[in-house]
Amino acid sequence: MSDHHITPLRTYLIIASCLFFLSGVTVWVSYIDLGSFNIVLAMLVATVKASLVAFFFMHLLWDDKKNLVLFLMSLMFFGIFVVITMIDTEFRGALGFNPETKNPITKRASFYGQLPLTDTHGYPVDSHDDIHHGDDDHH
Amino acid sequence: MIENEKQNYLTHPKGIMSWLLTLDHKRIGLMYLVSGILFFFMGGLLALGMRLELAAPGNDFISNEQYNNIYTLHGAIMIFLFIIPAIPGALGNILLPLMVGAKDVAFPRLNLASFYIYSFGALFALYTIINGGVDTGWTFYTPYSTQSSSNVVPMTLGIFIIGFSSILTGLNFIATVHKMRIPGLTWYKLPLFVWALYGTSLVQITATPVLAITMVLLMLERFLGIGIFDPALGGDPVLYQHFFWFYSHPAVYIMILPAFGIISEIIPVHSRKKIWGYKFIAYSTLSIAFIGFLVWGHHMFTSGQSVFSQIVFSFITYFVGIPTGVKIFSWILTMYKGQVSFTPPMIYALSFLFLFTIGGLTGIFLGAVALDIHLHDTYFVVAHFHYVMQGGTIVAFLGGLHHWWPKSFGTMYNQTIANICAFGVFLGFNGTFFPQFLLGLRGMPRRYATYSDQFVELHSYSTFWSGILGFSIFFAIVNLFWSFVKKNKVDPGSNPWGGMSLEWTHTSSPPHPHNFETDPVFEHGPYDYDKVIVEKTYKK
Repeated sequence: MSDHHITPLRTYLIIASCLFFLSGVTVWVSYIDLGSFNIVLAMLVATVKASLVAFFFMHLLWDDKKNLVLFLMSLMFFGIFVVITMIDTEFRGALGFNPETKNPITKRASFYGQLPLTDTHGYPVDSHDDIHHGDDDHH
Repeated sequence: MIENEKQNYLTHPKGIMSWLLTLDHKRIGLMYLVSGILFFFMGGLLALGMRLELAAPGNDFISNEQYNNIYTLHGAIMIFLFIIPAIPGALGNILLPLMVGAKDVAFPRLNLASFYIYSFGALFALYTIINGGVDTGWTFYTPYSTQSSSNVVPMTLGIFIIGFSSILTGLNFIATVHKMRIPGLTWYKLPLFVWALYGTSLVQITATPVLAITMVLLMLERFLGIGIFDPALGGDPVLYQHFFWFYSHPAVYIMILPAFGIISEIIPVHSRKKIWGYKFIAYSTLSIAFIGFLVWGHHMFTSGQSVFSQIVFSFITYFVGIPTGVKIFSWILTMYKGQVSFTPPMIYALSFLFLFTIGGLTGIFLGAVALDIHLHDTYFVVAHFHYVMQGGTIVAFLGGLHHWWPKSFGTMYNQTIANICAFGVFLGFNGTFFPQFLLGLRGMPRRYATYSDQFVELHSYSTFWSGILGFSIFFAIVNLFWSFVKKNKVDPGSNPWGGMSLEWTHTSSPPHPHNFETDPVFEHGPYDYDKVIVEKTYKK
């Protein structure tokens, strides 16, 4: 694969128009309320766009496949980071007891009076009840 | 003795500009070495200051605030300015092209740029020191690091910049190993130091960007109040630790993998025996590099992460022990029935085996969640990582310096003094840090400037031996540089230890400005002591 690939202008234009179209899709879907699925869809469109750029504009499709492997490896490391970090944030309190609910934080610091507080799941922590933390109701 | 002024990279070409603008990997390596050792001394003096304060309970030497500054600077300087850049930057730069038979690294200009980026980052660190230090600990944990009025910004900015130097050096080494090997020098014929540098470089280019992101997020939170780590703004303080350790745990392997490579070179050469389990050592390097990315949560067992991820991280952490054990046993088997000579590099290598094994095994203690909850943030952790970082990496670095000193600089140090210093380092190190295991088990917390009376005895032992350790390292390095002053030159064609890799057999000491006078031809593998006889030559 050492010979240099020359991409016809037509391909670039088609890819560019795809990117514009997908930008429109991103804006369009943001008006539809799909709940937590909104972010998934937005990321999906963004991933497709990024892949188009990497494959066509950055020539990964025609390049030495080793470079593609390296590119995918970087995605894999990113995936490892995100997934394993989510194992923490999504499972807090899933095993044993959650120290936050068993022993509520004593709110003596000054900022507790000023700002709306949320826990890692976006639930307000102002109310002292332990019920809203049932971990099954929102996954 | 034959004078080879024209064929010596140290004297040809001449002039200060020929050094500042050099593209020669050996000169760049030497500049890394000198700056690394200066920071090593700076960090060492800070450590001795800490030990002096801890010789007796109470604040009799420095205040609590000064103590906070000193331990933060000690950690940050040693890790970000010495250990991470020093071995790949100094020994790696000097040796990698020689070992693969290349004239230089793949991108010589990028190599010089890396050195200047490192220097630029180091200026920020120096500014931090002059401007009153930083007191967050080298980990810069939030929320304190977003609130502390000390120099968090210049220090993290310095680390951010130095990170780029690390990435570019890693990139350069990967390209060099892939593209610059001479014909016949296949992957399994490479010296294991090259494998180690290759593994290190992979970790550098994949992990270091995350450090940069972490530092940027920290500054965004500090200046713009973006809620990433602050729960009052919807952030999560534990997320900072995820970010930080996703870099800093692999960084532990950036520090220790080159040390493994050095030991894999020293032991077969000084035992005159083929390395045992070449492929096992090579692949264990890569598997350590990979597993290193999956275990960062074991630094966070007491920070409030979920119990489920504690179990996952604890389980994966044990896997690190397998490739590490493979290496240790391979080195021991290499020495078995070999002609072991107790030269200074070999004494460092043997100390490494002993100290690193203690460091590694206590790591298994700390990888167990239940035990770690007891030992976390005590001196047990301090002792553990000093056994790995100093007893492992720095001892290997000193061993590597003694091993390749006559090759790199064409002068031989006084071997008797070097041996005495090597023993001093071993004894001083154990004397300093072994009592700290006991202190930690008894509950002495780390990062405290004072302590209760029950710890006096062990702390004063530790301080006494730290003096011995400091003197031994100081004189070991002075002894090396003294060989320049004494002009104790070795013969240009000498091979004092009988090494078999290309840097010993195909180039002069110190090497030619273009590494090899004629294109090197690959004749035998780096450890073929069972096939070829190599003479030890020192002076004619």
